[in-house]
Amino acid sequence: MAATMHACRCSLQTGASLGLTSQRTTRHQESFAALPKPVKSEAVGRSAFLGAPAAKHGQFRNDMAVPQQARVGKVSDARKVQCAAASTAAVMSGTPVRNTSILVVGATGTLGRQIVRRALDEGYDVRCLVRPRPVSAEFLREWGATTVQGDLTKPESLPAALVGIHTVIDCATGRPEEPIRKVDWDGKVALIQCAKALGIQRYVFFSIHNCDKHPEVPLMEIKRCTEAYLADSGLDYTVLRLCGFMQGLISQYAVPVLEEKAVWGTDAPTRIAYTDAQDVAKWTLAALRSEKFEKQVATLAGPRAFTTQEIIALCERFAGQDAKVTTVPLGILRVTRAITRLFQWTTDAADRLAFSEVLTSDTVFSAPMTETFKALGVDPLETTTLEKYLQEYYGQILKKLKDLKAGSRQGDFYI
Amino acid sequence: MALNSAAKVRPAASWSHQLTLEGRRCSQCNAFAVDSRKPGTANSLRNHTFPSRHLGVPQRLSERRKPAPGVRASGEQNGADTAVKEKEEEKVVQERAKPTEEDAQLTLSDINPVSLGRRSREFFNDVWKRLTDLGQLTRSSPSDVDTVLIGGPMCEFTIPDAAFTTVLVAGATGRVGRILVRKLLLRGYTVKALVRSSDEATLEKLPTVVQHVVGDIGDPTTLSKAVEGVNKIICCTRATSMLSGDLTRVEQQGVANLAKAFLDYNHRLAQKRAGKSARSKVTLARFSKESTLDEWDLRDGVEDEDILGKLYDGGMDAELELTEREGERSMGLFQGYVYTRGGFVEMTTELKLPEGVSLSRFEGLLIRVCGDGKPYTFVLEMEKWEGGPPMEYTYKFPTRVGYARVRLPFSDFRPGSPDQPPLDPAQVKRMSIRFEPKKVRAPMMLAGAPAQKKKKVMAGRVDPMQAIAEIDTSSEGPEFVPGATETDLGSNRFKLEVDFIKALPAGEEPDFILVSCTGAGVEEEDREKVLRAKLAGEQSLRNSGLGYTIVRPGPLLEEPGGSRALVFDQGNRITQSISCADVADVCVKALHDGTARNKSFEVCYEYTSEQGQGLYELVAHLPDKSNNYLTPALALLEKNT
Repeated sequence: MAATMHACRCSLQTGASLGLTSQRTTRHQESFAALPKPVKSEAVGRSAFLGAPAAKHGQFRNDMAVPQQARVGKVSDARKVQCAAASTAAVMSGTPVRNTSILVVGATGTLGRQIVRRALDEGYDVRCLVRPRPVSAEFLREWGATTVQGDLTKPESLPAALVGIHTVIDCATGRPEEPIRKVDWDGKVALIQCAKALGIQRYVFFSIHNCDKHPEVPLMEIKRCTEAYLADSGLDYTVLRLCGFMQGLISQYAVPVLEEKAVWGTDAPTRIAYTDAQDVAKWTLAALRSEKFEKQVATLAGPRAFTTQEIIALCERFAGQDAKVTTVPLGILRVTRAITRLFQWTTDAADRLAFSEVLTSDTVFSAPMTETFKALGVDPLETTTLEKYLQEYYGQILKKLKDLKAGSRQGDFYI
Repeated sequence: MALNSAAKVRPAASWSHQLTLEGRRCSQCNAFAVDSRKPGTANSLRNHTFPSRHLGVPQRLSERRKPAPGVRASGEQNGADTAVKEKEEEKVVQERAKPTEEDAQLTLSDINPVSLGRRSREFFNDVWKRLTDLGQLTRSSPSDVDTVLIGGPMCEFTIPDAAFTTVLVAGATGRVGRILVRKLLLRGYTVKALVRSSDEATLEKLPTVVQHVVGDIGDPTTLSKAVEGVNKIICCTRATSMLSGDLTRVEQQGVANLAKAFLDYNHRLAQKRAGKSARSKVTLARFSKESTLDEWDLRDGVEDEDILGKLYDGGMDAELELTEREGERSMGLFQGYVYTRGGFVEMTTELKLPEGVSLSRFEGLLIRVCGDGKPYTFVLEMEKWEGGPPMEYTYKFPTRVGYARVRLPFSDFRPGSPDQPPLDPAQVKRMSIRFEPKKVRAPMMLAGAPAQKKKKVMAGRVDPMQAIAEIDTSSEGPEFVPGATETDLGSNRFKLEVDFIKALPAGEEPDFILVSCTGAGVEEEDREKVLRAKLAGEQSLRNSGLGYTIVRPGPLLEEPGGSRALVFDQGNRITQSISCADVADVCVKALHDGTARNKSFEVCYEYTSEQGQGLYELVAHLPDKSNNYLTPALALLEKNT
């Protein structure tokens, strides 16, 4: 403990002597100072949930722009955080955990399964928290991951899953039919508290891009509050904000175009920088290894932002046929939401539709990735573009169709 | 509260269907069925709050009714339907129920209330899903993702070759093996694992789809089952103790056993097809057969026909006979002496291959010899054109006292003169094993040169063709009387026992990947023992005739891989450690890599010195999804090592 304190003092001195006024450094000092104290997260959590403004985060982009001089301070900063983590771990648990042991929460989801695959490939021992179901996620075990049964909505099932775990990657979210707060807020709070109590050394949380700018959207507000709660918990966290997955576009646009069914699109001018979930998984694990991402918030975006219309046009081009496009005016979405909000039993439905608010606000849902790529040590050229992704998808499907000698009207095997 | 209402709605919906199943009439569903066939009834929707009138609902609905029921009668699949949807649906059903109750043109299946209920529910699910999808940013339901997107060709790990390849992993529960198995599965390989016991603790370490075979590489009898159906083998075993017996059994004998079992399996497979396995060696000469001797001749010659050669013609002689030892098979004993400066003697034969076999599909020769510590030269002769003068290609190999297999890759044969074309194995007509003494100090030895030429004296400066003619007239081996006494083996005398000469088949890819070690991570006192066993194992693999890749990683670390640059090197110069995951990755990448075939190399992390003082040259950086670093890295390394 003495050593830790010493290291801390040193780093503070270095910081002071360099005249650092960087947001990041100050925030670290704060969080470090807050470490030994009992977690005051409960209060913050509640206030945040009620819509009160949460603690302001230093954005990752700002940090990357720290001038050369500041780097000295940065290094010692990192060391300090390590010390802190080590000392907590030593206090919390007797046996050291291997840094290759990770727990993936939400492993059966679009992103979760990609993270499991990527982590297994990089040599991690992956444990997955899955809900007890009659047909439990067998494919995870086939890949070589281990599964433990548990449920975020049942906090008592969590501690057992976290024993012996170094890093928690949380990519869970509620199913569409579930009340939005149950998993995404109550469950996450339980998980974070549990992770804190069991001395988890890294917590990766997936949030939504610009979640702090849309307090009217429940899921985004919850994400923002969770970010704040996490920052306050004293855990060594990494928050990765996402824009949208290309995988989702397959069922939404690519398949209907091919099946010559009606494609529903909006006339919203919003552009979204879709990312390949496989890329996100790759970047996530790169962020895990990097000290630069400790206690950081970063946005992961695709190479280019697209509107719905552009995506449908792309699908038409690669499928070689015209789509029957049904454009849903945004007004409809909003009205539907307003109606569903009226009844208590449809509030969840209303929450699901809440993204229409984002769509109407005419934003570009994207973020510059240059600095993030540099920090991750990833080659930007390796990023999958939406054009390439859709082209590959259609290439595979059309080839499959050819093999089956079937017309594209047959259906069933598109996804 | 929301949850409560949801819980209530669901049983209610299914209850109404339950009723009809029991035979009671469900007027609601019935009416709906009739109604939905008429486009006009969609008007009723307009009164409803559900804003679907803009969405092409009526048309789609009528379209859906046309196909035979059962085409899409899988309403249960929609596990994700919400309580809300059902509620909505109920409402609409009620609304629609009003106008037309007495429409009559129906088939029985149309009125089936269960399927109607399903269809309507399905439809509203669809509408609802589409609506919500529009408003979603970051999620898609997992059911959307399956064969193509995950594990299919769109997955970044999948390798096209993998679908047809079964890999046997020996040591699958070890540090490297565990990661290796997962990596192979992710890429679509069929994986077999060799485990020593099939108890629960062992099987827990293996993914569920891995087929496990109980066996031990130290015990050859257990291996025949393990190699069944296997295309490639990766061996990353480790002896459980540092006892010499264990080390020999596992590291040395184990590798040999595994390679042999694999070859045997291929051979059996080939025999079933009444052919020869492409992986098995072809015997070119075997001296355990007496008739072999008749095919071999003896020749001599002088390399440079210069004046010195004439001056120091101390004479030379050689003989070839079969050994006769109790309880052993006979060997070809080639011995004699050469005192002529620049002179050589050789045993030679015309290359006779079995019917339909050409050396072109082989990549080298394997000989088993017992030498005397002197180097010998293997000579292949190729005719420039039919009947033209032969061109020589030589490969000098060292021998030691005691039996050893020597691998002679065709690519290492050196042309006799620089203007010769490279060796084309298909054109080889003749092969010889030649002895030529070291040239230095040959004159000194001359003094003691015994000019005893017992039987057939081969004159030094004879034209090779003439020599052949001459030898042809003389009879072979058995008539020779042993020349020199066995103890007198100066540098001009030689004695080489030859067991067999076989051709090693060529191939595209490695068949057998062995994870060996550099010894750097082993305790000082055990290092020599371990290395000796490991090297012997490597050697037996090289000589097996299988396409091999031998990976010698530095000390293994348990940490995630893929993050640091790797250094590939030959010559035991590496200093750094490497993560198990990276070793596994190298093995997986080598499986289908032609440049990895027949190579041994060390691999470790890049040494990170002070910033900007890299010791290594960046060979390649490939911005590609399937970032294959291995090929460019290995392309620079020596083959047949």
